[in-house]
Amino acid sequence: MNENRRQILEMLAAGKITADEAEKLLAALEPDSTVTARQFTAAAPEGWNDPPPKNRAKYLRVLVEANEKGEPTTVNVRVPMQLLRAGVRLASLIPKQAQEQLDEKLSAHGVPLTVSQIKPENLEELIDHLEDLSVDVDAKEEKAKVKVFCE
Amino acid sequence: MTPNFAVLQVEAPHFRMPRLWLPLFLLWIPVILLSPIIFLVIFGLSMAGQVSPWRAIAVFWAITCSLPGTHVHVSTHEAKVLVRIL
Repeated sequence: MNENRRQILEMLAAGKITADEAEKLLAALEPDSTVTARQFTAAAPEGWNDPPPKNRAKYLRVLVEANEKGEPTTVNVRVPMQLLRAGVRLASLIPKQAQEQLDEKLSAHGVPLTVSQIKPENLEELIDHLEDLSVDVDAKEEKAKVKVFCE
Repeated sequence: MTPNFAVLQVEAPHFRMPRLWLPLFLLWIPVILLSPIIFLVIFGLSMAGQVSPWRAIAVFWAITCSLPGTHVHVSTHEAKVLVRIL
């Protein structure tokens, strides 16, 4: 028994697919099968047809190129995403009283950030959004370029 | 994985330092030797801050383990600073 056939039967035994779906999949494996690719994918269980997961970014990169008074200045910072994850978890170590004081001070300075709401549950969503982040700033008057992206 | 090496280089108009490779893994020796004192300090500070000491240790361990790959390079006309953690 080949691997594909065994996998289909295991899925049927586990109740992940119905007998009809298993029959279609097995028929598709036959060399002289008349099952089209569309029928095969239609019979496939949930998750089979999902696109492969994209490579997750490992680093947040900040590049700055400035030209102050004719002298070039460059900043190149690469921060691992894991460090961001661990850094955000630091917020959970701040005592509640200090968090409240911090929130008040931040809101007084016009930063609508609530430190107590930074939780590990929200962390992955934040990292996911950071992975799609790409900021290009090209200030011609100041002769500076800022690039923020994930890689 | 904990950081094994740090690369440090500083250049200024009147000061030039060769690129230093700092063997961070050697820090394990004093850390292990001083671990009872370090744990006492962490527990004391955690109790004072009303934070679980185990959670504090877990967070600092996570930060330490995520440091490799960090790269900071600042270069101007006269000065240059490079910090890499491997």
